[in-house]
Amino acid sequence: MKNIDKLGTVITTDVLVLGAGGSGMCAALKAKESPVDVLVLDKCGTGYCGQVPIGGGILAYVHPEHVGEWAERVTVQSGYFNNQDWTYAFGGDMHPTLMELASLGLTFLEKDGEIDILNWGPGIYVTLFDAPKSLVALKKTAKDRGVRMMDKIYAIDLLKRDGRVVGAVGLGLVDGKTYIFNAKATIIATGGCGYLHEKTYASCLGEGPAMGYRAGAQLVNAEFGSGYVWGTEVLGKELFGIHFYLYLENERGEKIMGKYYPELMTGTHSVYTFDPRVIDAMQKEVKAGLGPIYLNLKGLSLEEIAGLAEDQDTELTHLMANDNLRLLTDKAGIDPSKERIEMTPKYLYSGGGLRIDTACRTTLEGLWAAGSAGSNSWSGGGGGQGGLGVASAAVTGFRAGGSAGKYAASNKRYDVDATQAKRALDRVLAPMGRKGSVDTADVTYRVHEAVVPMKYNRQREAGRMKEALGIINDARGKLAEVGATDYHDLARYHSAESMAMAAEFTYRAALMREESRAAHFREDFPEKDDKNWFKWITIERKNGEPGLATLPVPLKDYRLQP
Amino acid sequence: MTVKSLDSEKCTGCGICVACCPMDVLRLDEETGKAFVAYPKDCVACWGCESFCPVGAIDVSPERGRGRMVSAY
Repeated sequence: MKNIDKLGTVITTDVLVLGAGGSGMCAALKAKESPVDVLVLDKCGTGYCGQVPIGGGILAYVHPEHVGEWAERVTVQSGYFNNQDWTYAFGGDMHPTLMELASLGLTFLEKDGEIDILNWGPGIYVTLFDAPKSLVALKKTAKDRGVRMMDKIYAIDLLKRDGRVVGAVGLGLVDGKTYIFNAKATIIATGGCGYLHEKTYASCLGEGPAMGYRAGAQLVNAEFGSGYVWGTEVLGKELFGIHFYLYLENERGEKIMGKYYPELMTGTHSVYTFDPRVIDAMQKEVKAGLGPIYLNLKGLSLEEIAGLAEDQDTELTHLMANDNLRLLTDKAGIDPSKERIEMTPKYLYSGGGLRIDTACRTTLEGLWAAGSAGSNSWSGGGGGQGGLGVASAAVTGFRAGGSAGKYAASNKRYDVDATQAKRALDRVLAPMGRKGSVDTADVTYRVHEAVVPMKYNRQREAGRMKEALGIINDARGKLAEVGATDYHDLARYHSAESMAMAAEFTYRAALMREESRAAHFREDFPEKDDKNWFKWITIERKNGEPGLATLPVPLKDYRLQP
Repeated sequence: MTVKSLDSEKCTGCGICVACCPMDVLRLDEETGKAFVAYPKDCVACWGCESFCPVGAIDVSPERGRGRMVSAY
């Protein structure tokens, strides 16, 4: 690696894991089972980063004896549009994953000395874990096993040699150093794109899928998987609570869910903030002039309100940030037992991610993806429930780590090409020292104007989506006027660019898919069209532009047939 | 600024707030070893730092860091 030291601090490892959230830590721990050196980086700090510690602490569960039944239900619900290889792999991995997480130090809800599995509705099983302490536990185990960890490193572009990924470049946010990482295997575990509109998951801004795309890896399903959650505007975040939907009402004080989804009003259901049925009811009411929508918990005691959340258990720790009652009373100055609270929808998550096989390999040699940075089509739009995010992070993390560890143990190292590293760094560092006239927050706001309105993203239509793409293009134009004085600013710049890219991919794929399916609804093509669209849409960089293509769902190779 | 106060008397310099901040707003002061708000404008009020702080040194206000949210309707 001649001259490479002049470009930055060079660090060599066998398996490089980008992102130390749930998927990244699982990947690092599993990779370390091979005789290799493992280094995990995070733009925040190991033990406290990503979505898992600030999530609800819910892990989806499927009993080993019910995997077939579960996979069949998901497959039928999705109209056979899912990747059945992944559905079976995911379902089959859930039980061993739970056991492995417990052995790695996670604390789960227990009953009579066993991990307690809760039934949250027809065929829906979960267990609860101590989310705020979960990554601290994994960090301790990782440290004991010799996994190396670096905090406050913002990785933003991959390095390639002879077509394979050989590492990444990163910015030292605190030390101000430029880093060049050389690895035999690289795992992207940086999450998807959360967009910062809803602020629960502010760490995931699309950097991983964006860097994979720039390196030439294929993305898939960009038109699916995005959605809305609901909460108070003043708190700017979703309200966790699986029974709150029962208490949503319109301006007139009429309960709204039973009007559209009477089946949800009888029996026991867990309706999470991600559930599209709630957003659907809210939007219909507002369209009918019956908005705004309120959460009316008046008359209930604070204890009863806390009970409606159901994922709050006294045996496990809970973050103030996820405690609705404390946030409402202490932060927003609202007493939910005395006043009704206006609810607003918030946009959360881009769709899709890097296309991965059942070993979590991307389409690029030397590159894996885990967690929500990857997309494996396991659900195909079916099987929605709480706790899948963590289950998916762990399952894909373990699979990616296992595969990458074995690969690194049996393959030779390819050095970083100094010319290519310089080219990557020139791109990454370009805004440094540039006199900026626009703030990155304004770019983010412009991206929100394209992705948040339901007229663009929920009731999709060709003309309006082209309008949204125009707004994204305008955001990109603004980005060119952003300057950076230090690596903190530079990281904000690249996050904004990644968000704009995620938004563009969503609309490009949504424009191409001229039908309606799962959460992708086209006003101009309202019917499902299996004849023409029983295929997944991929995006891959071609001549510097996003090239879209289709991949037929390989139904004939799958176990279940319609 | 949404981090209303960061009590340097209480702060032990453990660095957990720096580690959990998704927006890289907080840093440890090289001289005092204590946390400070380095990039106040980028705070999105996720309450991570206040929630995780083991000594209750941080108070984050509910306001969103940057103006109104784009409406979904």
